[in-house]
Amino acid sequence: MIYSEVSGTVSEILVSRDQLVEKETDLLIIECMKMLIPVTTKKRGKIINIYVKENDIINEGDKLVDINYDI
Amino acid sequence: MSWEKELEEKVSREKLSENLGGKDRIKKQNDAGLYTIRERIDILTDKSSFNEVGKLAGHAIYNENNDLIDFKGSNFIFGKAKIDGRNIIVGGDDFTLRGGSADASIKEKHLKCEQMALSLQLPLIRIVEGSGGGGSVKTIETSGRANVPEVEGWNLVVESMGTIPRVALGLGSVAGLGAAHLACSHYSVMVKEKSAVFVAGPPVVEQIGQKLSKNELGGYEIQLKSGAVDDAVNTEEEAFDAAKKFLSYLPNSVYQLSDQIISKDDPKRASEWLIEAIPKNIKSVYKIRPIIEDLVDKGSFFEIGKEYGKSIVTGFCRLNGWPIALMASDPYSYGGCWTSDTCKKVQKFVDLAETFHLPVIYLVDCPGFQVGLDAEKKGTIKEGVRAMSAIWQTKTPWMSIIIRNCFGVAGAAHKRGSSYISRFAWPSARWGSLPLEGGIEAAYRSDIENANDPKLELQKITTRLNKLRSPFRSAESFLIEEIIDPRHTRKIMCEFADLSAPLRKTGITSRTMRP
Repeated sequence: MIYSEVSGTVSEILVSRDQLVEKETDLLIIECMKMLIPVTTKKRGKIINIYVKENDIINEGDKLVDINYDI
Repeated sequence: MSWEKELEEKVSREKLSENLGGKDRIKKQNDAGLYTIRERIDILTDKSSFNEVGKLAGHAIYNENNDLIDFKGSNFIFGKAKIDGRNIIVGGDDFTLRGGSADASIKEKHLKCEQMALSLQLPLIRIVEGSGGGGSVKTIETSGRANVPEVEGWNLVVESMGTIPRVALGLGSVAGLGAAHLACSHYSVMVKEKSAVFVAGPPVVEQIGQKLSKNELGGYEIQLKSGAVDDAVNTEEEAFDAAKKFLSYLPNSVYQLSDQIISKDDPKRASEWLIEAIPKNIKSVYKIRPIIEDLVDKGSFFEIGKEYGKSIVTGFCRLNGWPIALMASDPYSYGGCWTSDTCKKVQKFVDLAETFHLPVIYLVDCPGFQVGLDAEKKGTIKEGVRAMSAIWQTKTPWMSIIIRNCFGVAGAAHKRGSSYISRFAWPSARWGSLPLEGGIEAAYRSDIENANDPKLELQKITTRLNKLRSPFRSAESFLIEEIIDPRHTRKIMCEFADLSAPLRKTGITSRTMRP
C-alpha cells in the first residue's frame, strides 16, 4: 500500500487499475505547497486499486494506491 | 604459597557469568533470530578487544555452609573495547535474564558504565533490549516495597549528551527505561521486524483498549516517522556497521577534533550535469540525494533520520576528507517547506554539529514554513523559531548554498546574523519575503479588480515582477554575495572544509544539547 507523505490535492493520475508498473514509475502527481510532487513505486508490481481521483484533497497518511508486488 | 586456588574460583565464577540466563533462554533468544548480549559485543567489537568490567557481579546462591551453589551474572554487561582500532565503551542488556529488567540487574553497573565513558572521554554504545534495567511489576515483590520513581545517574546521561558521542542500538523489544536510553542518544538504530520500541508494550496498552501487535505499536515504521529513533536496518550486523560508520565522523569527545581522511576524490572535480539539475519549471521537483552524493567525497554521505521531518535531508559526509554536517532541502516533501517535524530535526542536527565541532553546509531550497491548518495545529512556528535559534546559537563554521527557493522566515533561517557565514547561490535561486505565486492576487487586488481585463492585468503585473526577482538584481545590491556555476560547487565546498578545519575549537558548548 502506498500512503501519501504530504497533504495536498491530487493533480493527475498517471496509471490505471490492473496496470503493470516498473520500479520508479510515477503513479500520480500531488500538488502540495504549489509544487507538483510525483508519487512513485519503489518496486515493480501490478496496480490493484487506486483510492483517489483527480482534484481530491488528501491528507498525510491517506491511502493512495495498492500494488501487488508478488507478480 | 600461591593464589592459584583463588584465581581458579574467579575463573569458574566468570564461566558461570558467561552462561547468561541459561541454555534454554539462550536458545529461545537465538531461535527468535536475535543474538545474545555476549554474541553482540563479540560481533560489534574488534577481536579480543573487550575488557569487561564487573563480570563477577551478579546474584549468587549459597548453601548452609556458605559454599557457592549457583551464580548468575547481572543482566547488564559493559566494558572497554575497540571498534576499528579505536577505544569505545560498550554496555548492553542481557535479555535472557529477566528481560533485562531491574530485578536481575545491579544498578551500579549502569552508573559505572556511564561514568566510565564520560570520565575516559570515550564514545558510548548502548545495546538495549528489554526494559534496560528499569523496573517490572515483579520488582515490588523482589524488593519488598514500592519504589518512588527515580532514574539514578540520569545526570551522567545528560552530561554525556554534551560531551561524548552516544549511540544506542535497540535490538529487540525495548520498553520503559530501555526506550529512554534508546531515545537519549545522538544516533539510534533499530532492526526492521525484530525490534519494537515503546513506553509500554502491547499487554499494558491493551488495558487502555488498544489491541496492537508489537510492530503495530512500536515497529520501525512508527518510530522512524515519529523521530524517536533515527534509523532502521535489516540485521543486527548492519546495526553494528551503522554505529561504527556514525562514530567514524566524530571525535572521541568534545575535547578532540575529528580527523581528516585522505580522499582519493579530487576536491576540484566538476560535475557537468549539475547545470541542469534544477528544473526550469518552478513547480517541478528534483531529487536532492543524487546531488548530495555527487558533491561530497565519493561514498562518504551517511544519512541520519531519513524518514523523519523529510523536507530536510541531514547527514554526515566528507569533503576533501574533512567530516562535515550536511543539511539539504528535499522538494519531494512539502516542496521543501519546513514542517514542525522538520524544524525539530534541524534543531537536533545543528546542535549535534555544534557539540562535536563539525562545520555545517546547508543546500537551501526552502519556500517557507508549511502553511495550512495541519501546520498550525502542530505548532510549526514555535518549532520554527526554535530551529532558527539553534542555528543562530552556532559558532561552528557555516556555509549555505541557495540552490532554488529561499522565502520567508524559514528561508531566512539559512544563515545566522550572529557571525560570518560563507554564502553562495546557484543561478536557479529565487528568494523573497513571500513567493510571488499566489501573493500577487492579494497584494495587487484593487489594481486587478479595477482593470478592464483583470486576467490580463494579473499577467502584466506577474511579468513585471518576475523581471525584478532575477538573482542578479539582488546581487547588484550585494544582498547575495556570489552566484556560482553549479558545476563547480564541489570545489567551493571543499575549500570551505579546508578553511574551516583550523577554525574548529574543542570544548563543551555553552548550551549543551538535549536528546
